[in-house]
Amino acid sequence: MPTFESIQRPERWSVPFSADMSDKRVDRILTVEPFRTLDPKRFRGKVTLRGILKNDARLLRYGPGDIVVRQGDWGNSVFFVVSGLLRADLGAASSLPGEVLGRQKLRRKSLFEILAQLWNNPADPEVRDVESYRTDPRIGTREVDSQTRIYLQDVSAVLDKYRTATIAVGQFFGEDAALGRTPRQATVFAERSTELLEIRWQGLRDLMRRDDGIRAHIDDVFRERGLKWFLMNTPIFKHLDKDEIAEVVSQAEFDTAGQYDWAESFKHLVKQGIETNLEHEPVIAEEGHHPNGVIIIRSGLSRLSKRYEHGHRTIGYLTPGQIYGLDEIIDGWLSKTPKPLSASLRAIGIATVVVIPTRLIEKLLLENADRRRLAKRGKDARDPLTNSPKIDTTRINADFVDFLVQNRYVNGTATMLIDMDRCTRCDDCVRACATAHDNNPRFLRRGPIQNNIMVANACMHCEDPVCMIECPTGAIQRRVEEGQVTINDWTCVGCGVCASNCPYDAICIVEVRHDGGDFIRDDKKHAPIVKATKCDLCADQWGGPACQRACPHDALVRMDMSDIPKLTDWYTRNVAITLRVMTSGS
Amino acid sequence: MQKHNRHRIRNLSLLVVSAVVLWLLHGLAETALRDTARLSGWLLFGMIVFLAAYNVRKKLPFLPLGSSAAWLQFHIYVGLLTAVVFGLHIGWRLPNGGLETLLASLYGIVFVSGVAGLALSRSLAKRLTTRGNEVMFERIPVYRKRIASEVETIVLTSLDTSESTAIAQFYAERLRPYFSVTRNFWHHLLQSNRPRFALLSEMKAYHRFLNDDERLVMLDLEDRVAAKDDLDYQHTLQATLKYWLFVHIPITYALVAFAVFHLMLVSSFAGGAW
Repeated sequence: MPTFESIQRPERWSVPFSADMSDKRVDRILTVEPFRTLDPKRFRGKVTLRGILKNDARLLRYGPGDIVVRQGDWGNSVFFVVSGLLRADLGAASSLPGEVLGRQKLRRKSLFEILAQLWNNPADPEVRDVESYRTDPRIGTREVDSQTRIYLQDVSAVLDKYRTATIAVGQFFGEDAALGRTPRQATVFAERSTELLEIRWQGLRDLMRRDDGIRAHIDDVFRERGLKWFLMNTPIFKHLDKDEIAEVVSQAEFDTAGQYDWAESFKHLVKQGIETNLEHEPVIAEEGHHPNGVIIIRSGLSRLSKRYEHGHRTIGYLTPGQIYGLDEIIDGWLSKTPKPLSASLRAIGIATVVVIPTRLIEKLLLENADRRRLAKRGKDARDPLTNSPKIDTTRINADFVDFLVQNRYVNGTATMLIDMDRCTRCDDCVRACATAHDNNPRFLRRGPIQNNIMVANACMHCEDPVCMIECPTGAIQRRVEEGQVTINDWTCVGCGVCASNCPYDAICIVEVRHDGGDFIRDDKKHAPIVKATKCDLCADQWGGPACQRACPHDALVRMDMSDIPKLTDWYTRNVAITLRVMTSGS
Repeated sequence: MQKHNRHRIRNLSLLVVSAVVLWLLHGLAETALRDTARLSGWLLFGMIVFLAAYNVRKKLPFLPLGSSAAWLQFHIYVGLLTAVVFGLHIGWRLPNGGLETLLASLYGIVFVSGVAGLALSRSLAKRLTTRGNEVMFERIPVYRKRIASEVETIVLTSLDTSESTAIAQFYAERLRPYFSVTRNFWHHLLQSNRPRFALLSEMKAYHRFLNDDERLVMLDLEDRVAAKDDLDYQHTLQATLKYWLFVHIPITYALVAFAVFHLMLVSSFAGGAW
């Protein structure tokens, strides 16, 4: 008789959002509007209202000045004000400076400072100026419920100086980031002692499904704040007037496919050995089905695949802003016979999409377009609807595309690719990186190789930076101007959340030293101070990433994987391969 | 046409044009009775200093001095052009004085090692992807020791279980020396698989002296021989890619030093107007 180990089958709420959410706390929340008036009968089966509040939500306390979220933070939850008062920084001309929020201001080194690295770089790795950790009066940190919080030192002065809006008891905020997997749009801080209910995305989804009031509220806010701006900046709608955009916004459907915590399951997949992820990737649109509308990727990534014999062959991937299904709709409209989708679209990890109904596309875009140009659009170098140059279809080896998608390297906006046919293993890239970063290289020149291209173990500055979720001090941040994901060494508390969230193992936790060579220790337990480190694309140096500039053989490149034409140019520069056309979908 | 080929053709064309122009200018200067040796000498010295500066650029990766790849392209084509300037400088004849012979020899070594290095960089990098796993050069001794240790364990285990010394004898005579150090440097460099096939053939031939269990052990050892051979291949090619610079760079510095000495001598004994 075979023997086996048995465990309780894991279920949705096996691991609650917070272990501190007691029944007593849930009872209290159920006395607060709108939860008080929600109809429990609408929550059937296992997903009860009480269950959602107990397992998908947590209560957080904030003191005056405590920062709840910063503009640009990555998050997957919505907040509800239980008590107290908050302020949202309205930004525009004068917004709160990054320094007081614990953000590091990007400052390139002066020419002298650059040169001084020659003699100032210490012999030991990861040496820091101890004084810099002690002397920044602008940043206040404190421990609340065993979490480190950054707070504004003088709230009244901030209120006098900057334009803010109040968020009062009973209001939700953060819904756009939670639903759209987009950065937080504003910095929010507590004006006085405040209690917030943070509901993770899964709980919010179920609340919206079961309560019309919450759904209508969140939906309205989301359409007005996020969707309108997004559609106005989508190339095919750019020429529409205000009323037409409003019509598109009102009729657009919004959908999220995949898992918010995809990074965790992806890590398990990597350990098991990735063969095919298709079964883990929810279908957004299926090959052979007729399109309901044009699908626009709002955030995340998705895979295009076609049936091939008994399996599926990856033919490309779509990144935010790209669209799918328009060709089929145009063909159907021209021939007056509906055309089925030529490929399946699946979410890689997580993807949020906006679907614009076919009827609306026909009315607003096709009826006014030049019919002959539409019919000949395959040969036209410019897109007939936007008149902009078409994204060139790419010529890339099918295995390589599959490898990039399978391993989710397409998530990178600065993926380090090394052409092993040209790399002489001289390690000039590694030395250059170490010279620019405290004598400790921020990447490893190793990684999987496909078609003689290595994807090195370096931070890719992901499109969907899951490392940024849950950073307690907001030390890890995406720079709004240049897009690098960097870590503020001053406010990093070395908790390691970013390193464990990163699915590519690109973040290291290191013990830092003072210039004497010994580890810097905390004043209570005398344990070494640790900091998270990773590639910052040489944000403080001149001329861009030192690794790329140091490669003598033009073998190393930092590639934005959403720039498919650039990837193709780089990939095909050595070899005259035209193995298969990879349709980019738009 | 591929990007690198386009660049190669463009750069080679520029090189040929530059060489022809220099030749013509040199001819004109000679016709005008100018001191062409002095002009070509200064030009050559400037080019050599520029070429040597590439190593300084590599030591300063954080300075915005242009990409190393662009520097290397200039380094290659200016380096090739020095051959023409050098020929014009010495009048296309063999040097006869002691210092001149030394300078010419140093230049020759630097030039030839540079061209050889370029050829090696372009060819060996590709070859590294054809055999064995990608390994870091510094880690190769660790992997080699690991394989040697595994082989020793397999042999000792077989000695205990098979009650025969056939495998152990073969190991002691043929395999132990093979696994102890990196082997067949020149064969690997010249892309010859002869030693690998010879040893594997010898092992296969040895099967007739073994029982069934020992044959399985021998097959296991054959896999290790192939793995070690791949590791040696990686070691040979990566070592060559690294160590050719140990000829090229020190001799370059010697060349610069003697060229400065040569300039000082020429200036000291010039005696007349330039």
